[in-house]
Amino acid sequence: MGEAISPFVLYAAIALGAIGVWMALPRRGVNPQVLGAIVGAAAVGLVLLGLGLRAGASDASHLPNIYFYVFAAIALGACLRVITHQKPVYAALYFILAILASAGLYLILSAEFMAFALIIIYAGAILITYLFVIMLATQAPSEERTEALSEYDATAREPLLATGVGFTLLAVLTSMLFTGSASLPDSEAVVAGRNGDEVLADLPSRVEEALVEAGLMGEGQTIARDADGQALIDPVARTASVETGGEIVEIAWPAGLAARNVESLAYDFLNRHPGTIEIAGIILLMAMLGAVVLSRRQVEIDEEAKAHQSRHLSVEDPA
Amino acid sequence: MSGVAFDITSLVAQTGYPEPMSVLTLNHYLFVSAAMFALGLIGFLTRRNLIIMFLCTEMMFQAAGIALIAASRFWLNHTGQSFVIFVLTVAAAEAALALALVVLLFRKRESLDAEQWSEMSG
Repeated sequence: MGEAISPFVLYAAIALGAIGVWMALPRRGVNPQVLGAIVGAAAVGLVLLGLGLRAGASDASHLPNIYFYVFAAIALGACLRVITHQKPVYAALYFILAILASAGLYLILSAEFMAFALIIIYAGAILITYLFVIMLATQAPSEERTEALSEYDATAREPLLATGVGFTLLAVLTSMLFTGSASLPDSEAVVAGRNGDEVLADLPSRVEEALVEAGLMGEGQTIARDADGQALIDPVARTASVETGGEIVEIAWPAGLAARNVESLAYDFLNRHPGTIEIAGIILLMAMLGAVVLSRRQVEIDEEAKAHQSRHLSVEDPA
Repeated sequence: MSGVAFDITSLVAQTGYPEPMSVLTLNHYLFVSAAMFALGLIGFLTRRNLIIMFLCTEMMFQAAGIALIAASRFWLNHTGQSFVIFVLTVAAAEAALALALVVLLFRKRESLDAEQWSEMSG
């Protein structure tokens, strides 16, 4: 397998993207944001065209879904707006757009559970928290500050240096990713090496359901289970064992019996990472406690008020 | 996954493993992920508003998520998706703590400017 894209095209596009992002970064005076966005879009388009030509040349089925281009364009455009928009509220709203586009990408990658979880958790919870904090921590324009836009929002800090650093990182990352992915095994080999339907052994009722639906199992019949309660199925030979009054019969794998994405994800999540789930729970709890401790307001009480308070309490207390 | 035809029901009500994905398709997703990460990094370095700086770290988390999901799809292995759940957990914890810190810092200086705290660089 050859290289995914010619290094010359890749580095030229990355340099072009760097110029575009540098132009789009906020600054006082002449602000060529639209031009910068167009140049940046051209750079992304150049790389995707290079990748697509290479993929299309070998086989049209190697091209990504057409909706990939739509979602990728929306996601990267929204990300550019997040880092270039001068008003924080708009930046947060554009980030929600980027999240929605990423959820679309997840959906194309057949990770539908994660796509909806992403929308609920990120767009629904985390970003709303951000919007609340933006509202809490923004000064209203007062008489001495008539300008609505703060100085620190209107100008970027070291735009040239940061763009250089960011796009050098991008050049290194992409060239390493593309070199590394060239040595990955063929996709057919990946599939041959695995069988995802072993998960079904732990879901006997799901197997029974599919068997009844396919008309392969009638009254008085159940799926045979081993000592651990796992369904007796053979995902390699594609047979299932059915018990009829103490007798075990092997029948062919019914049509429509396959592990669903959510089932496989749950199986992997709960079986392989139980300790990590506990740690994640502790991290969340600690973060919640930390946030409460950090953001509580210190109430200043002078000595007199303290004495008054203690006298008051001692009278109230019958002991 | 075919090139043009797109059937939403085949994705949402999908049973079994999807068709294998080519390395050449994987490259597209990895590029989008890397570009998003670079944009997040540039945003973190250039913006002076504390809230937007933390928003850019979330963007970098998101880029990592896309790479994980794409790799999970390529290997037809659900561990990548499980990792995205943990990435979301860490992002939520980070957002809670970072925003509490931002509120605290804003109360001290009445400004979200990161340069206000430049004496911390020593």
